[in-house]
Amino acid sequence: MPRVSRRTFLRATASTVALGAFPRALRAQPKTVKIAAIHCVTGPLAEPGQACRLAAQIAVDHVNAAGGIKAMDGAKLELMLGDTQTKADVARAEAERLINAGAQILMGTFNSADTNAIVPVAQQRRVPFLVDISAADPITANVAKAVKEGQQKTQYVYRNFPTGTLFGVRAVQYFNEIFKEAGVSPKRVVLMHANDLFGSNQARGFQAAHKAANPSWEIVEVIPWPEPPSDLSTEVSRAKAAKPDIIAPITRPASAQLLLPEIRKQRVEVLGIVGPGSPGLYEAGQLAVLKEDLEYVMTSVPWPNFKHPRAQKLAEEYVKRSGGKTLDTNSGYSYDGIHVIADVLERAKSTEPDAVVEALKKTSYKDNLMVSTGPIIFNEIGDNPNAAPAMIQIQKQKPVAVWPKEHALAKFVFPRPKA
Amino acid sequence: MKPLALGAAVLVLVALPAFPSLFGSYAVTLFTLIFFYGFLGQAWNVVGGYAGQLSAGHAAFLGIGAYTAALLSVERGLTPWIGMLIGGALAAALGGLIGFLGFRFGLRGFYFVLLTVAFSEICRVIAGNTEAVGGALGYYITFTGNPRQFQFQDTRAYYYIALALMLAATVLMAWLERRRFGVYLAAIREDETACEAAGVNTFKYKMLAMVLSAFLTGVGGTFYAFYLFSLQPNTVFGVPLSVEIIIRPIVGGAGTVLGPVVGSFILSPLAEVARYYFAQGGWHGAHLIVYGALLIAVVLFLPEGAYPRLARALRRRATVA
Amino acid sequence: MAVGLTLIFGVMRVVNFAHGDMMVWGMYLAWLLATRVGVDPYASFILCAAVLFVAGLFVQRLLVQRIVDAPHEMQILLMLGVALVLENAALLFFGPEPQRVRSPLAQSTLWLGSVFVDVARLVTFAVAIVLTVVLSWFLFRTDIGRSIRAAADNPYGALVIGTDVRRVYAIAFGVGAACVGAAGALVAPLLPFQPPTGLQLSVASFNIVIIGGMGSLLGAFVGGLLVSVAESLGAVFLKPSLKELVSFSLLVLILLVRPAGIFGKRVA
Repeated sequence: MPRVSRRTFLRATASTVALGAFPRALRAQPKTVKIAAIHCVTGPLAEPGQACRLAAQIAVDHVNAAGGIKAMDGAKLELMLGDTQTKADVARAEAERLINAGAQILMGTFNSADTNAIVPVAQQRRVPFLVDISAADPITANVAKAVKEGQQKTQYVYRNFPTGTLFGVRAVQYFNEIFKEAGVSPKRVVLMHANDLFGSNQARGFQAAHKAANPSWEIVEVIPWPEPPSDLSTEVSRAKAAKPDIIAPITRPASAQLLLPEIRKQRVEVLGIVGPGSPGLYEAGQLAVLKEDLEYVMTSVPWPNFKHPRAQKLAEEYVKRSGGKTLDTNSGYSYDGIHVIADVLERAKSTEPDAVVEALKKTSYKDNLMVSTGPIIFNEIGDNPNAAPAMIQIQKQKPVAVWPKEHALAKFVFPRPKA
Repeated sequence: MKPLALGAAVLVLVALPAFPSLFGSYAVTLFTLIFFYGFLGQAWNVVGGYAGQLSAGHAAFLGIGAYTAALLSVERGLTPWIGMLIGGALAAALGGLIGFLGFRFGLRGFYFVLLTVAFSEICRVIAGNTEAVGGALGYYITFTGNPRQFQFQDTRAYYYIALALMLAATVLMAWLERRRFGVYLAAIREDETACEAAGVNTFKYKMLAMVLSAFLTGVGGTFYAFYLFSLQPNTVFGVPLSVEIIIRPIVGGAGTVLGPVVGSFILSPLAEVARYYFAQGGWHGAHLIVYGALLIAVVLFLPEGAYPRLARALRRRATVA
Repeated sequence: MAVGLTLIFGVMRVVNFAHGDMMVWGMYLAWLLATRVGVDPYASFILCAAVLFVAGLFVQRLLVQRIVDAPHEMQILLMLGVALVLENAALLFFGPEPQRVRSPLAQSTLWLGSVFVDVARLVTFAVAIVLTVVLSWFLFRTDIGRSIRAAADNPYGALVIGTDVRRVYAIAFGVGAACVGAAGALVAPLLPFQPPTGLQLSVASFNIVIIGGMGSLLGAFVGGLLVSVAESLGAVFLKPSLKELVSFSLLVLILLVRPAGIFGKRVA
C-alpha cells in the first residue's frame, strides 16, 4: 500500500476545498444546468400548474435525450421543482430556495401575481427568469421601465406567453375574420367574464382591442361574475335579456361548468359561443363533464400547432404521462419554454447570467410547437410579439384549430347549427 | 429565570443581526418571512390574544395598508416610508369602525370572528371591482431597488426591517403588558362581565386594542407590498392570509409577549421542511397534508400554546439549577 | 349544509373551519359512486351521509374531544389543520380538475310558459326540506335528540341529570357531518367542485347560519334561501361580480341588529 505523505494529502485536500469554494470559476463546465420550474401545483390553480410542471419535465427529458446542451459539452438539464401554492410570499421563498440550491435559470409560474413576486428575486440575484405563462402586461413592462429609467442595470425577466393586450388584439381580429368568412354580420356581443386576475385581464385586453379596431359589432353588455361562482343563472338571464348574437365567455374550468349548461337551460338563442381566450372550454376533463354543451363552442387560445411534425408525437406522449389529459395551452407553452432555454444556453455557451441575458435578447427560435405569427423573439419589453392564440372549436367532442387558416385543421362551423 | 432569559435575549439580539452574513439568501428570506409573520402575529396578538377578541379578518388591515402605500408611491410619488403611516392610519380607521360596531353591539366570540371575516371579504370584493386600484387583475409595483421607494437591491435590508418591526412590536407589547392597558386587556379576556362590574371601561380598552392592532398590521402592509410587488384582492384581502396571520400567535400562545414570535419560529420552518421533503415528484399536495397534520399535532400536544409550556420548562430548569 | 354547521356549533361551540372541506368530500364520494358504480347522487346521498357520520365521529373522538375545554382559538386552529389535510388529500386522490356529477335529473328543465324551473334545484330543495324535518324530529322527539339539545343549552345541567355528554357531543358532531355529507351529494350535480372549493363553502355556510340564526334548524334553512335571493337581486341590480357584497353586507347588518340571527334565540 503506497504511503500517502501528509503533504500530498494536505495539498489534495486544499485543492478540493478550493474547487468546492469556487465551483463556477474553476471547474471547466458544470455537468448539469439547473432550471427551477416554479408553478402553482397546489391551491386553486393547481390544475394548470400541474400541467406546466409535467410539460417542463417532458421537455427536459427530450433535451437530455437529444444530447443535452451541445455547446456546453453535452451538459444535461436538471429540473428543480417549486410549488407556489398560488401565494405570492411562497412563490418568492421558493425562488430563493431553488436559487440557493443552485438554480441558474427560473421558469414559471402561471399566476401573474406570483410571477411578479419572483421578478424582484430574479433582478436582485441576477438569475434569468423566463415567464412561461402569465398574461398580465405589467410583469415585463415594469422591469423594462425600471431599466430604461436607469434604476436597474439589466433586465433578467422575459416572457414567451402572449400578454393580455396581445390576446385581445388577436381575438378581435379572429372574430372579424371568421364573421367575414362565414358571411354573417352579428351585431350584439355580450362579454361574460370571471372577475379574477386572469379573467379581468383578458376582458380588459378584449375591450381595448375592440375599441381600437372599431368593428361592425358592438359589445352591448359586460357581465363579470365572482370567481368561483356558486350560481350563474341570474348572470345568464341578464345576458339573455341583452338579446345577444354572440356570447363571448372568459371562464375558468369551474365557472365554465356552470355557465354552459345554464345557457342551454335558459335557451339563449345565439349564432355562437365564441370566447376571447380562456381555459375551461376545451380540456379533456371539461369535455367529460360538459359533453354536448361544449359542442361548437369556439375560443381563441394559445394552441399547439398540430401541423408541426413533433407536436402530434408530443401530444401522444403527454396523454400517456399525464394519465389521459391533452396537450394544450399551458402544457404547450411550458414545453416550448424549456426548449427556448436550451436554445439560449446553446448560444450563451455558459450559465453566466449576463451571457444568458445577451443570448435571450438575440433569440429567434423557429422550432416552437405553439401556433404563432413567427419565431420566438423578445422585444425591447422582454415580451414575445409573435406569441399568438389560435381559434379552436369543439367538433365531435374534440378541440381542433379552425383559424387562422394556415394553422387550421378543420373548417369552423359557424353559425352553429340549431339543435 | 430572570438572568437566563435576559442572557438568551441578549444572545438572540446579537446573533440575529449577524445571521445574514453567515447564511445564504434562502435562509435570509426564510427568516425575513418568520420575522414578518412574527410581527403580524404580534399585531394580531394585541386584540386577538391579550384582549381575547378573535379577529379572523386581519387581512383587511394588511390589504388597506399595502394598497395605500403602493398607490401613494406609484401614483403620487410619495415615499412609502411616509405612506406606511398613512396606510396604518387608514387601517386603524377601519379597525376602529369594526371595533365600534362589534363592541358597541356586544358581539363576542364566534360572532366577532364572523364580523371581521365579513369586513375583510367586503374589502376584497370592493378592491376586486375597483378599476382605479387595478381591479381583480391586481396592482403591480415596479421593482427599482430604490431605498426611497422602500425597495432594496440587497435582500438583507428586508431582513433587518422585518427584524426591527418584530422587535419593536414585541418590545411595545412587553411594555404595554405591564401598564394598566395590558392588565385591563387580560382582565377583559378572562371575564369581561366582572371587569365591567369593577368599573373598567371595557369598550374603550377593546377599541384601543383594536385600533393599535389594525395600525400595526396596516404598517406591515407596506412591507408586504414592497417585498412581494404584487397586490391581488384575493390574496391580500383573502381569508387564507388572515389565517396565516392568526395561526402563528395561537400556536405560540395567544396573549403572551413571546407567543407570536415563538409560533412563527415553529410554523414557518415546519412549512418549509414539509415542502422541502414532500413537494417533489408527483404527489401534489402531500406536503400540505404533512403540514396540516403537524398543525393538528401541535394543537393536541400544546393546547395552551408553545410559549407558556416553554416558559414553564425554563423556569423548572432554573429552579433546579 | 348549514343545518350541519348549526348542529355542530350549536351543541359544541366548536367553530368548524373544516366544514366546507367535509362537504367537498361528500361531493367526491357522490362523484365516485356515480362514475364508478353508477348510482345517481339523488340516491347515494344517504350513503354519503352515513360515511361522513362515521368520519365525523372519528374526528370528534380522536381530535375535537381532546381540546373541547381549550380556548376558542385552539379549536379554530385544530379545524384549520383538519381542513388543510382534507383539502390536500382530495387534491392527491382526485386531482385538481373541477368535477361535476352528471345526473339525468340535473339536465332537465321544466318550462311553465316563459318561466323555467330547474328540476335538479327543485329536487334538491325538496330533499333539503325532508331532511330538515327529519332532523327536527330527531332533535325534538327522540331521547338522544333531547339530550343533544339539553347538552347544548346547559352542559353542566345535562351532566347533573346523568347525560353522557361526551357521547352526545360525538353523536352531534357525527350527525352534523352526516348532514354535510348529504348536502354535498345533493349539490354535487349543481355545483362544480374541486379541492379548494371547501374554503368558499365554509365561508358561505357561516354566512347562512348567522343570517338564519345559530342553533336554529329553520333559521339555517331560511338563511340559505335568503342569501341566494339576496345574491340574485345583487346580480340583477348591481354588477354581478359585486353580488357577494350584498350577502356580506346582509351578514354585517344581521350581526349588528340580531346577532342571534333571524330565527335564533337571543344569546346572553
